[in-house]
Amino acid sequence: MNFVTRGVRNAFRNSIRTLSIVLILGLSIGLSLVMFISHQAVQAKIDSVKSSIGNIITVSPAGARGLEGGGEPLTVDQANQIKSITHVTTVTETLQDRLTTTDTNLQSSIAAGSLGRRFNGGGAGTQPTSSRTPQNFTPPIFEVGTNSLNGSILNGGGQISLSSGQNIDTGSDSNQAMLGKDLATKNNLSVGSTFTAYGATLTVAGIFDSGNSFSNNVVVMSLPALQRLSGQTSNLSSIIVQADSITNVQSVVSEIQSKLGASADVTSQQDSSTQALAPLENIKSITMISLIGSIIAGSVIIFLAMLMIVRERRREIGVLKAIGSTSRKIVAQFMVEAVTLTLLASLVGVAIGVLGSAPVTKVLVDNSVANSTQSTNNSPTPGTRPAAGFRGAGQNISRSINNVKVSVGWKVLLYGFVAAIIIAVLGSAIPAWLIAKVRPAEVMRSE
Amino acid sequence: MLQVKSVIKQFSNGDNKVLAVNNITLTVKQGQFASIIGKSGSGKSTLLALLGALDRPSKGRILVDDKDITKLSDSELVKYRCQKIGFVFQAYNLVPNLTALENVMLPMEFSKVKKSERKKRAQELLKQVGLDDKKQHRKPSNLSGGEQQRVAIARALANKPSVILADEPTGNLDSQTGKMIFDLLHGLAKSEKTTIIVVTHDLSIAGRTDITFTLSDGKLIEKK
Repeated sequence: MNFVTRGVRNAFRNSIRTLSIVLILGLSIGLSLVMFISHQAVQAKIDSVKSSIGNIITVSPAGARGLEGGGEPLTVDQANQIKSITHVTTVTETLQDRLTTTDTNLQSSIAAGSLGRRFNGGGAGTQPTSSRTPQNFTPPIFEVGTNSLNGSILNGGGQISLSSGQNIDTGSDSNQAMLGKDLATKNNLSVGSTFTAYGATLTVAGIFDSGNSFSNNVVVMSLPALQRLSGQTSNLSSIIVQADSITNVQSVVSEIQSKLGASADVTSQQDSSTQALAPLENIKSITMISLIGSIIAGSVIIFLAMLMIVRERRREIGVLKAIGSTSRKIVAQFMVEAVTLTLLASLVGVAIGVLGSAPVTKVLVDNSVANSTQSTNNSPTPGTRPAAGFRGAGQNISRSINNVKVSVGWKVLLYGFVAAIIIAVLGSAIPAWLIAKVRPAEVMRSE
Repeated sequence: MLQVKSVIKQFSNGDNKVLAVNNITLTVKQGQFASIIGKSGSGKSTLLALLGALDRPSKGRILVDDKDITKLSDSELVKYRCQKIGFVFQAYNLVPNLTALENVMLPMEFSKVKKSERKKRAQELLKQVGLDDKKQHRKPSNLSGGEQQRVAIARALANKPSVILADEPTGNLDSQTGKMIFDLLHGLAKSEKTTIIVVTHDLSIAGRTDITFTLSDGKLIEKK
């Protein structure tokens, strides 16, 4: 028998006390583990959200978003300046326009409804008879000219997913177009059909499904074709820039701002994601504080338990010293006892952590997101609207942050056991010091 | 041989200074069975603690086999206690969750004796003090007071010490068992040639030892 065996056996010396310590400490370790797992899950979600959407920058004409606002359009020259910036990987140029009933034979797939009549400010579609009660108004058809079909080129969100036909060649100046599926259905058009716009005849090359009604009422053309047909040569409505990494987004934004000056508004998805991720950041802080708190609580529990044990066995410690044991060996024996108790407790803790981490994380996320949403709804800021392209992105993030996946891998369990040993060592440090201070002669005198 | 030369042990209790051991000089020869008697607070146990290197004297020298133990470092003191001294306490002080056999093996573990040898010697010693195989595997709580003290004596003998220091070894036992324990210690002193120093209140025991020292107020007042 050596000090390790004695330490392990001592842990079971008083079964009721052992059970009590293991349960209380187990709860503390379980809470630590729940907080650690939640923290990891939330961090992973934040990283995932940031890495998936966080490196997109949108450049719009100063004072304009899509087809709203005013000011002067961007130019192809400005897009070329952006391409030369370090850390820029792709630059998507778009030009947007609205087709009125006088410009095209197409009919909008969206019915005006009360919203359409209310939103119509003139300049597109059929002019209303009254600004507040335009009974004969039909919504306009949006047209997008682009040099790439990838990325967030659709104002209403969603991606171009080809349903039939083929993609247009975005680099060539030809009268080819892709139609949203609702628009094609409304006008009985299929691949190969023709329609008129800007006095020209265009051929339907493909039909796409963006996943939403607004974007399915869009005509997509190559950038040069739309610039030519709409008489906006070299003009752009927006430039979508992708940085090579999320960490370089801010520097790219600054560089674009310095190159384009006051002629452009530069916004990044980081702005909207930061706001949307705020609840998760709060949870991260809460879980970290709770993690530290529960580790301290665990250390205090084992400290008090070991203090009690050491005080109770003061005479035994003196005897061991009297019969030739070194203080170091006795301290090691008590440390083994503390580690044994803590490891037993960590088994309970791991069970609590595995079972409790998912529901606790869900409750934390749901409450935090609900509070955040309520707070946002209760305190609107008049006159501010997020960039049109990011409105959807921000909402998507808000929706997706509720879906935090909790995973308990062997690494987490390993961390749990390592944390348990740290708790045991920290908690038994002062009792160990007390052991070293016990003088065998004092024990004799107390006889 | 054990020599105590002008040893003083002083304790401070606030502003008061108490001389627990006051200039004691004595000699106990190898293999002698000595007793120290005196009233409570006379300094018997303090002297025993000094002899066993459980405490250091304020002044004076203690020579064990001509080696001054007052000048040993802390680690040397541990070694001294382990190899040269065996303790027997009034309350037996066995480790409660170890069996009798494991208790006897314990000092040998501290002196790094091989595990197989430890067990063999512990069994022999327990047999020598009259504990059969069955009782050797019992925990102290399942042994009588006399049996526990036998185990304590076997433990004290484990590392073949030069000196056994016993603090009221019969204090918790009835007179008959106490006599048996005394006879055991007496017999060991003769057979193993081990110096045994017993602190006791029991004058009948003290009268049967080779030499008796009487303490009063920390001073050695009589030697028989």
